[in-house]
Amino acid sequence: MSVTATRMLARDWRGGELGVLVAALVLAVAVVSGISAFTTRLQVALEQESHRFLAADRVVRSGREMPAEWLQEGSSRQLQTARLLTFPSMIYAGDESMVLASVKAASSAYPLRGELRYSQEPFGEILTATTGPQPGEVWLDSRLFPLLDVGLGDQVMIGEAEFTVAAAARTEPDQAGSFLGYGPRVLMHYDDIDATEVVQPGSRVEYRQLYASADNAALEDFVDWLEPQLQEGQRLLDVRQGQPGLGDALARAESFLLLAGSLGVVLAGVAIALAARRFSERHNDYVAIMKSLGATSATITRLYGRSLLLLGVAATVTGCALGWSLQAAFFGLFGDQLPIEPGPAGLRPYAIGAATALVCLLSFAWPPLRRLSLASPLRVLRRDMPLEERRTFVDYAVGLAAVSGLMWWYSGDWRLTAGVLAGLAVTVVLGLALALTLLRGGRLVGMSAGSIWRLALAGLQRRGTANALQVVIFAMAIMLLLVLLLVRTSLIDAWQTQLPEDTPNHFMLNIAPQEVGDVEQLLQAENIPAAPLYPMIRGRILSVNGEPLPQTDDKAEGRRQREANFTWSDKLPADNTLVEGDWWPPNSAAEEVSLEQEFAERFGVTVGDRIGFQVGSEPLEATVTSIRTLDWQSFNPNFWLVFPPRLLASYPATFMTSFYLEPEEKPFLNRFIRQFPTVTVVEMDVVVAQVRSIISQVSAAVELVLAVIVAAGALVLVAGVQASVDARMHESSILRALGASRRLVLGGLLIEFAAMGLFAGLLATVAAELSVYILQAQVMGMYYQPSPWVWPIGIGAGTVLIAGLGVFNCRKVVSSPPLSVLREL
Amino acid sequence: MAGGELAILKGITLEIKSGDSVAIIGASGSGKSTLLGLLAGLDEASGGRVIINDTDISALDEDQRALFRGRNVGFVFQSFQLLPALTALENVMLPLELQGQADARKQAEHFLERVGLAERTSHYPRQMSGGEQQRVAIARAFANSPAILFADEPTGNLDTTTGGIIVDLLFDLNREQGTTLVLVTHDHALAARCEHRFRLDAGALVEGN
Repeated sequence: MSVTATRMLARDWRGGELGVLVAALVLAVAVVSGISAFTTRLQVALEQESHRFLAADRVVRSGREMPAEWLQEGSSRQLQTARLLTFPSMIYAGDESMVLASVKAASSAYPLRGELRYSQEPFGEILTATTGPQPGEVWLDSRLFPLLDVGLGDQVMIGEAEFTVAAAARTEPDQAGSFLGYGPRVLMHYDDIDATEVVQPGSRVEYRQLYASADNAALEDFVDWLEPQLQEGQRLLDVRQGQPGLGDALARAESFLLLAGSLGVVLAGVAIALAARRFSERHNDYVAIMKSLGATSATITRLYGRSLLLLGVAATVTGCALGWSLQAAFFGLFGDQLPIEPGPAGLRPYAIGAATALVCLLSFAWPPLRRLSLASPLRVLRRDMPLEERRTFVDYAVGLAAVSGLMWWYSGDWRLTAGVLAGLAVTVVLGLALALTLLRGGRLVGMSAGSIWRLALAGLQRRGTANALQVVIFAMAIMLLLVLLLVRTSLIDAWQTQLPEDTPNHFMLNIAPQEVGDVEQLLQAENIPAAPLYPMIRGRILSVNGEPLPQTDDKAEGRRQREANFTWSDKLPADNTLVEGDWWPPNSAAEEVSLEQEFAERFGVTVGDRIGFQVGSEPLEATVTSIRTLDWQSFNPNFWLVFPPRLLASYPATFMTSFYLEPEEKPFLNRFIRQFPTVTVVEMDVVVAQVRSIISQVSAAVELVLAVIVAAGALVLVAGVQASVDARMHESSILRALGASRRLVLGGLLIEFAAMGLFAGLLATVAAELSVYILQAQVMGMYYQPSPWVWPIGIGAGTVLIAGLGVFNCRKVVSSPPLSVLREL
Repeated sequence: MAGGELAILKGITLEIKSGDSVAIIGASGSGKSTLLGLLAGLDEASGGRVIINDTDISALDEDQRALFRGRNVGFVFQSFQLLPALTALENVMLPLELQGQADARKQAEHFLERVGLAERTSHYPRQMSGGEQQRVAIARAFANSPAILFADEPTGNLDTTTGGIIVDLLFDLNREQGTTLVLVTHDHALAARCEHRFRLDAGALVEGN
């Protein structure tokens, strides 16, 4: 019989019966395996790329020295390891030049991920290196050269040790994040720390142990071993903590791609179910004939089961090949622009593809085909016999379970699954109610309309239930596409607003109050767009509502927790949003303070609480009158604590700002430092460029995936239209036989399909907004905003697409003789 | 039958001997097709029994009846009922394949040749005229050497000339194969060629014209 199954498939294929079914199945497998391979490869690459921001895969950070056994354990597990110590220290050259610098001492293996950038002269051409200075050497921040009046090869002193200046330090992979409050960078070797004698117990230092491995499992095992041993003040960092902005971008991109994959599977599932149903309806007569010729129901089940199996295997192979080509094409096309090397995908994506095909076939295609064996042989004598009771409810339940299961399995996120299902549920319930009501209501309007309209409305009503179901299916497909379009748009918008072209890529710190005017003038004269100059005062929190803060064992960590940069402002800073309380009126001299939300939570403080501070050696008390959120990803100066200007006026402050500099404007920094030698300039341009390039790659991936899913959506529409074409063709042929004009027949069909498309588009838009609200607000942690622009798109595209597809699929009815059309149905 | 049920056939007793040819005549809606469906085991009666070659097919379930049909029964239908996706040859092979016969192709070719379609084996039904399609159907009906052949208005969709050729073919093969023939028609000329004729009138069966 398997020969017969092959032959039957081949014949059905030739007859065009299998087109949509096979296409949907191939597309499902291709979408799933392609997206999975794509995200796996991109993830491997992006994670590696983002690990460069940590200079490692995992980092343990502490204010005190950590056990060397940890590093030994790491090495014995074949992990790469490195250690870092960062501390502030004076650096001397000759007798009179000295500057407070932020010294980073690194072992030879540093950095484990990413590269060091340096140059042979200050602000000169950038070179890369995989290791830092050798023992006895230092690399100095570009601006230290003029400040110390030294050149390459000169000697400088840190504490008691003497070093040779070997290069200008430009950037380190892990420099983002912890630069505030430090001076210009000096890089030295870890082995030279003791010789300097500057690191004493209680010094303000930060130790880091760095770990990396290509073997993720080994790394996770090590982390599992290490984590229980961490004490207070020792923190384990991975990329998400290392670079929160990028971590969020990656997580959202991942959510999007998984969402897209899940929606692709849902769409393909619906297309498969529709196509299988049509296939089974058309095969009812064939089964009746075969049964009259002696085929038992077991024979029929076997025959169709085998056909489906063969179909599944063929579609899986084709789909996997297509999925592979899709992601390969993407990396081929955009590979050169990626600053990262895509990682291997492995076989898992194809296993997922095959499993998806199996689930799709079993839950969407098999139920209607299995019931073919119940077809009555009596149909050979009486073709008008009603078809076997189709138990559509069970079909839908099985399909829904499969869709939910696949989505959950695929995304690993029940909230995402629930968000999409909620949208689908709204579509179904609202859809059936609305469609039935509207289709019924059309009768009154239709009666007095011209004959095309009457024909169309009569058609809509005659097949009321079937049409309502079809409207729901169209609406589901359109809704899923709209959801994806909306999420993609807000995702890319969010990324672009997060890092616009002129994102500040340099910071200036330590600007003295008397220099403020001159700095502003210079920036203006050089035409450099800069953020306003913010005053900055370093202070500590001592008490909350009169209670002193509890002491921690770890002095350094405790200090880190309580020390913060204060600023003052009359206005709420631009990126900030008030979430509680009120902003103070201008010129307020009241003892008030505004806190950043997370900072307030850390201290358990809310509006109305009174906080005791120490600024320099002076005490200060203020009442919390507002809580703010701020955008840490903006690369603008951000402050946890903001006071009214008059309250802080008497305390010593320095100023800071951020500004954007084109690469060719870099020499400005030399001029600037010569004029303001005590101002600290932090170069973030490389980091900003890296983040932006990653985001642009992920955006391209998102666009590509969207295009693939649109194809899946189109298939559902085609399958949905085809499902109803037979009945419509039958009626239209009879009309045609009775002499109806081409215009009447096609016009009637056009109106009928357009009306369904209009309802479907309307429904889809409503449900999509709901679904997107759930997804963005609950799953992706983004702000939801209604999108009015999507309404005309949803409704317009629904109407035009479905009307077009409907008429296109029925076009035969006016181009072929009625009898031959009727014979083929 | 009680209640609101509709009695289509009532009190019918019909015995057909092996090798007989029997025509059942009746107006549209007289229950001819229903009777044929029951006799051929395509349908289940609400009461009564149908016995073919000592097998009570009314006591069988649908799958057992299917096996029984495959071994013992052939059909020729008014609307031909060829599978549109199969070629003429494949259509004729189908019942043989369902029986698991090894030489299905050879036998099918033989019967197609017998109905004069040796040249058209690879053609699909839509490429053939009505008469040709019905000849394929006849070849298929005889292919598994059935004990009894049911024909439902075999000329109903054909013009008179073509119908005549088909009827000749049907009776010739019937004779050659020694098959029992049960023919349902409202065509008296066709009925006249059968050895026995029954008329179905308002659900009751009467022998003779």
